[in-house]
Amino acid sequence: MRRPPLVVVFVAVLVIALGETAGAVMSTLRPQLDRYARARVAANPQAHGLAGSAEYDGEITARAVYTAEAGLSFFHTHAQGLGLVVLFTGTVAATAVRWRRARAVLYVLLTAGGLFPAGYLVYSLAALEWGKDAGVELAERYVLTPLGSAAILGLVALAALIVASRRGRGPA
Amino acid sequence: MKSAERDAWRLPPVSTLLTAVLLIACAEVGGASMAKWKLELSRWARSAILARPAVHGLVGVRDVDEGVIDESLVKFDAALRLFHLHAEGMGLVIIATTMTAATLARGDGTRRALTALLTVGGAGYPTGYLLWSVLIPHYGIERGKALAEWLVWIPFGGATIVAMWWLTALVGLRLVRRS
Repeated sequence: MRRPPLVVVFVAVLVIALGETAGAVMSTLRPQLDRYARARVAANPQAHGLAGSAEYDGEITARAVYTAEAGLSFFHTHAQGLGLVVLFTGTVAATAVRWRRARAVLYVLLTAGGLFPAGYLVYSLAALEWGKDAGVELAERYVLTPLGSAAILGLVALAALIVASRRGRGPA
Repeated sequence: MKSAERDAWRLPPVSTLLTAVLLIACAEVGGASMAKWKLELSRWARSAILARPAVHGLVGVRDVDEGVIDESLVKFDAALRLFHLHAEGMGLVIIATTMTAATLARGDGTRRALTALLTVGGAGYPTGYLLWSVLIPHYGIERGKALAEWLVWIPFGGATIVAMWWLTALVGLRLVRRS
């Protein structure tokens, strides 16, 4: 099996390292993260629609904090998975696709797709800064959808190019 | 060195591959066992919890105790699930990262140290969830978690994280030098 270019390997390893570190941070610094999230919600009362009623605001804050924690958790799981996906699909592209330019396009798409989990970090932070719904929408529209689409496009193109490479080779 | 050789992946040691494959197999067996013996596992955990009322803060009032027992059983089940998930994931992470170390780490010592940390850390970390699930009925949720953290998650998870950032720096350095 051939290995993909160093930059692809670097992004894959970096994303896995970030995913593992995020897991450890989530586990060991949970109270600090919770305090930070609550402080950010309190600092942006208009974005969260806080009304000054303790009961209502408490519920809104809890929802925003839960969304931020969920974003971190998604980052942890997706980073571990996507890092491996980039490394293994990059290897398949390097090994099975015959055309150099096609391989280069695949590497770009797969590497961009490998950065998809970063969208969940944006999701976490944006939910605290701009409110739950607006933050989640921002992360989905500007980060998760483009990077996720790159990953999907890369995988579909890889499948098509594997078939094309086999056909181009003729019968064994 | 020929170009094809230079661009090829190198395999990590057989012991590493075997560890990773066994870890994935354990995860699969763990998942299957959870489904097959769900009732038996839950009964065992419940009886172990009831045998240690002081540990779990049971007061002998059914309405109060049932809530406490339910919470412990949910965590017991979650710990088993987390073992299943992490063992499957870390098995693959071990293969991918040690393959990267075998191919891109230049010095023998560096390669061996990285491989050892990634293999031992990666294989040991998920067992912390298994340990936590066993400890919950005996020591309670928080005490069990603290024990698993100090005995398994911190040493083994720490080894993996250190090795991952070492590997990332190493690949990044090669990338910078090449460009």
